[in-house]
Amino acid sequence: MGFSLSVSQADAVLRALKKDYRVYAPKRFPKQGRYSDTDIIRYAEVDSFADIVWDTKSDYPAKEVITPIQQAIFYFTEDEYRASKVKTKPILLLARPCDINAQRIQARIYAGNGGYDDLYYIRVRELVKFAVMDCNGGDDTCFCVSMGTNRTDDYALALKFSADGLLVQVADESFAPYFQDMPQAEYSHAFVEENELKVTIPDLSDKAVRMALKSHSMWQEYNSRCISCGACTVACSTCTCFTTRDVIYGVNPEVGERRRVTASCQISGFDQMAGQSEFRSTAADRMRYKVLHKFHDYKARFGEEHMCVGCGRCTHRCPELISITATVNKVSAAVEEIKASMASQ
Amino acid sequence: MNQDINIKKVRLNCYRQSKVPGEFMLQMRVPGGTVDAKYLSYVEHIAKTWGDGTFHMGTRQNFDIPGIPYENIPAVNAYLESYIKEVDAELCNVDMDTIAHEPHPWDPTEGYPTIGARNITACIGNYHCICGNCNTFELARKIEPIIFPSHYHIKINIAGCPNDCNKAHMCDFGIIGVARMTYHPERCIACGACVRACQNGATRVLSANPAIGKVEKDACCCVGCGECVRACPTSAWTRQETKFYRVILGGRTGRQTPRTGKMFLNWATEDVILGVLKNWQKFSAWVMDYKPEYLHGGHLIDRAGYKKFKEIILDGVELNPECLVAEDLYWHETEYRSNFNVKPLSMHHTAGPKE
Repeated sequence: MGFSLSVSQADAVLRALKKDYRVYAPKRFPKQGRYSDTDIIRYAEVDSFADIVWDTKSDYPAKEVITPIQQAIFYFTEDEYRASKVKTKPILLLARPCDINAQRIQARIYAGNGGYDDLYYIRVRELVKFAVMDCNGGDDTCFCVSMGTNRTDDYALALKFSADGLLVQVADESFAPYFQDMPQAEYSHAFVEENELKVTIPDLSDKAVRMALKSHSMWQEYNSRCISCGACTVACSTCTCFTTRDVIYGVNPEVGERRRVTASCQISGFDQMAGQSEFRSTAADRMRYKVLHKFHDYKARFGEEHMCVGCGRCTHRCPELISITATVNKVSAAVEEIKASMASQ
Repeated sequence: MNQDINIKKVRLNCYRQSKVPGEFMLQMRVPGGTVDAKYLSYVEHIAKTWGDGTFHMGTRQNFDIPGIPYENIPAVNAYLESYIKEVDAELCNVDMDTIAHEPHPWDPTEGYPTIGARNITACIGNYHCICGNCNTFELARKIEPIIFPSHYHIKINIAGCPNDCNKAHMCDFGIIGVARMTYHPERCIACGACVRACQNGATRVLSANPAIGKVEKDACCCVGCGECVRACPTSAWTRQETKFYRVILGGRTGRQTPRTGKMFLNWATEDVILGVLKNWQKFSAWVMDYKPEYLHGGHLIDRAGYKKFKEIILDGVELNPECLVAEDLYWHETEYRSNFNVKPLSMHHTAGPKE
């Protein structure tokens, strides 16, 4: 079932949807960018068609809707506590295939991982239905096709935007009533089949190769280039790491809350343990950890696919202009070098 | 060389006397130090056709073309017509037929009508720079029609951020782009990047508060550089949409009493900056009894006193609520001669209309 909506018709449908759903989409926050007179685009509830940024990739990922940067887990008063509450109104989340696939990847970590379901993830994720947004291959940092995340069937609606309005494919029949009396049109969603950027993921199945890669000199450049700010992991569609913080209210230490706050493996101190020892004490070590987690470790743990969905946001947000794809290519070159060296011995 | 040349008249036309008698250096205005690159061909043409083939990047960001013989000046002025029209009259909306708010029809073939207010200099600002908080040359283009053409002198330098690469501290009226920040605690992961950036590159006004897992700010001493915004990985610090400016007053170089300027206004909006500058000629005229002298703005403030300056310059200006004004200003001059200011009363300068 397909529809062709003008801007005002799209607004009317959005108004109707908002009675039953919280509708989240990429939204522009003018002049809130890192540099003066630049904007950021991040996920927020939208009130009109004009609020939705459909022609540019968002700086921050859709995961912020499901796992916000900060959330209260429970509140405590003396010896009593209660879990935090969340809004129970369903969520319609407008996202591209990279962000939708990212939720399958995040779910393996949050839900069922080690036989445990994370309440705070599940209780929001269960409320979410996706509306897949059309994507023309993204920008020059996108490489979803290389990661196999360019397609998805996890959507209730498929949307193709233009300045004049919207083409809609209704995949979930429960959404049909919102489009009653709207002009019908043939529309079947097409996915991106090619990105400008193509990446070959190195074969790291050989443990001896991985051990040699760990100490390879390629990582050293990141000691001078990477500033360990963590902007890449905050912008990452799939990073799940968080820390917990206890916050007390004012001067009374008996009252407060425990929060879950996004953490980053790139920030110094992330892996600090009792006694102040760290596994990865340099920017190069941390970069290696992140890259191998995205392009080897996760798949080794969960089996089906790499963690990276190729959204390119880490590259896009890096203030030091470090490209994840260039880094992966350097890994590939290092792996070839290591294999050649092993073969000649 | 036997020539009879009125040097002052030629200087007023923006040609500077050379040590070679009869030769002059043209100073083309480049408001905010930024124009279309196509004008470099004008520079090349003038230098090769009428000058000695060299080009100097002026200390006030003029295009300086030395070695122009006096007799070539009319030809250069005729050629300059399109440059002055396009850059000053059109790009900056300068009313070329007025000098110091008085009607004074401009002959487009006669070159610049006055050297008066000096070329407004600017760093590249946020047009390019990752540190800049404002578009410096767009501001310069808004100020140009207020201060030019005028026989009253003022040197204005615009810096895009408090790093002040363009030395707003060393001119009559220095403008620095500053940002007021908004903190979004719900996006803060307390990584400490802003705290370190402020400590290392600014005024150490940020501190992490472990009890709340957030960052706190001593707003009084924030210089508005925006380094916290640049450092933040989550956009928890953002610049407010409104642009703000700091004004550094009365800085100067010179043989007698060079000094660094001091803060006159903080957190002023663009409207306030433009409103204040609209009073500049009124102040200058009052100090010099309505007879322009070849004297720069800082000296006029010395003659009138800061309080009189403040009274005239803020007249009719509606300050934005955030704007702070210096109650008094205490410059520290380098006196190249001890007790330079102590002299017979008859040698003292006076300010204001004469009887």
